[in-house]
Amino acid sequence: MKSKLYPFFVGLVFVLLTYGTYQGLVKAPTEETMGEAQRIFYYHVPAAIAAYTLFFLNFVSSIIYLWKRSVAADSFALATAEVGVVFATATLALGMIWARYAWGHWWAWDMRLTTFLILWLLYLSYLILRRSAEAGSGSVLAAALAIVVFLDVPFNYMANRWFVGNHPQPVTLEAPEMKIALMANMIAFMAFAALIVWFRYELERALRTIAAIYADRAARGMLAMALPAMFLFQIQPRHNPTNYVYAAYIVAWVIYIGYLLLLTRKVARLKREEEELRRSS
Amino acid sequence: MSRSVLKLTAANVAKDLRLEWRSRDVFNSMLFFAVLVVVIFSFSFEPTSEESRRIAGGLFWVAFLFSAVVALNQSWARELRNGVLDAYRVSPSPAESLFLGKCLGNFIFVAALECLMVPLFVVFYNLTSAGPVWQLLIVFLLGTWALVVIGTFFAAMSIRTRNRELMLPLLLLPLSIPAVVNMVKATSNVLTADSSPVPQIKFLAVYCLVFTTVCFVLFETVLNAE
Repeated sequence: MKSKLYPFFVGLVFVLLTYGTYQGLVKAPTEETMGEAQRIFYYHVPAAIAAYTLFFLNFVSSIIYLWKRSVAADSFALATAEVGVVFATATLALGMIWARYAWGHWWAWDMRLTTFLILWLLYLSYLILRRSAEAGSGSVLAAALAIVVFLDVPFNYMANRWFVGNHPQPVTLEAPEMKIALMANMIAFMAFAALIVWFRYELERALRTIAAIYADRAARGMLAMALPAMFLFQIQPRHNPTNYVYAAYIVAWVIYIGYLLLLTRKVARLKREEEELRRSS
Repeated sequence: MSRSVLKLTAANVAKDLRLEWRSRDVFNSMLFFAVLVVVIFSFSFEPTSEESRRIAGGLFWVAFLFSAVVALNQSWARELRNGVLDAYRVSPSPAESLFLGKCLGNFIFVAALECLMVPLFVVFYNLTSAGPVWQLLIVFLLGTWALVVIGTFFAAMSIRTRNRELMLPLLLLPLSIPAVVNMVKATSNVLTADSSPVPQIKFLAVYCLVFTTVCFVLFETVLNAE
């Protein structure tokens, strides 16, 4: 948080996200079959890819932790898993809103949906283990779990392969503006994910420094799970795709900002503790 | 594997079996739990013979998964009393033999439970198999081993956390979904004889191989986690 690069990076991410959202909502042409609802795609796919990347980084840093036992690798593993779960949550929420429009129901036991849901559950169990492990052994146990969980992912794909697929295949976008919109959002969300991970990582290190002083106050991971908005749409008889696009974009931001607010609360608590510590010493 | 590892494994299995034979607390509670699951399911579905063939695979494995959790939790909780687990950690015996012994012991418990439960299922659900029964045997062996290996590994992990008994299902259930899906699919394929269970059996074999290896490699780390 102290780094000079940090405000610069925040500004860059803000510009990228604004540009990506503008491209997705305004610049990209409306698709023929799905209409406006296709614009959800520009938020859905980058969030999914960011989640996969973060889970992969979690796997790598867990191996490094078991090998070198460096605190940095462990903090990084926690940060990537937690932020990955947030992005996976956003992916699921966006997908569900799109499905409500395109298929008429929120959920289908389709291969990709099932696999992604299980992936989400797996990393939730990782975070739960981190929260409830006894101080000291938690990092090692979590690293071992991260390796097993990551190896479960290919089996997951194989096990669910006979579910009839409703999920659209990886589409080739025809219009060049669509490609630009997707690429812009892809870069923006990758940078956004990197920024939150950085933030979370620094926070974790700070928490650990304080935890080292207050030996009994262990760090706690928090989760953002906000899906109440979907019930508002349940009763609407006529479907306007534009509403779905706005709903999806808003829900995505509710999830991201909700998570950031949780982190801010954590920072505030941290500052209070620091104050107390300074006063007592 | 050297002779001494095998000897130590055998000693571990023998110890577990002897303890269980004298107290029978794990096996009895596991058996009663599984019976309850079967009875409650048959209340809530009241299936005909035709239907039960289709759903029996799912019921079977759900019942076994839940009762295996009971057994797996107990298998390590027993070692916490009198600091046995700490004694293991300082002893020169390899961690692998402890893990293998535990896996084999749990496998024997769960397999024995399955042998007792299958007749009960047949009676309550009017079950008859349309496919060859020997294929079921392979599915049960592989499926039970898959559950027991990752279950024993995660039980060793969850015993180190604050909410011990609660942690195991939270870790085991999501991770075992791919295996459970295939066990259920293979079992129903044999029972209904609609399609061949061979792809699922292959999947289970690979799953067992990969996760047995991974759990063996990582067990020592988990046991000595500080």
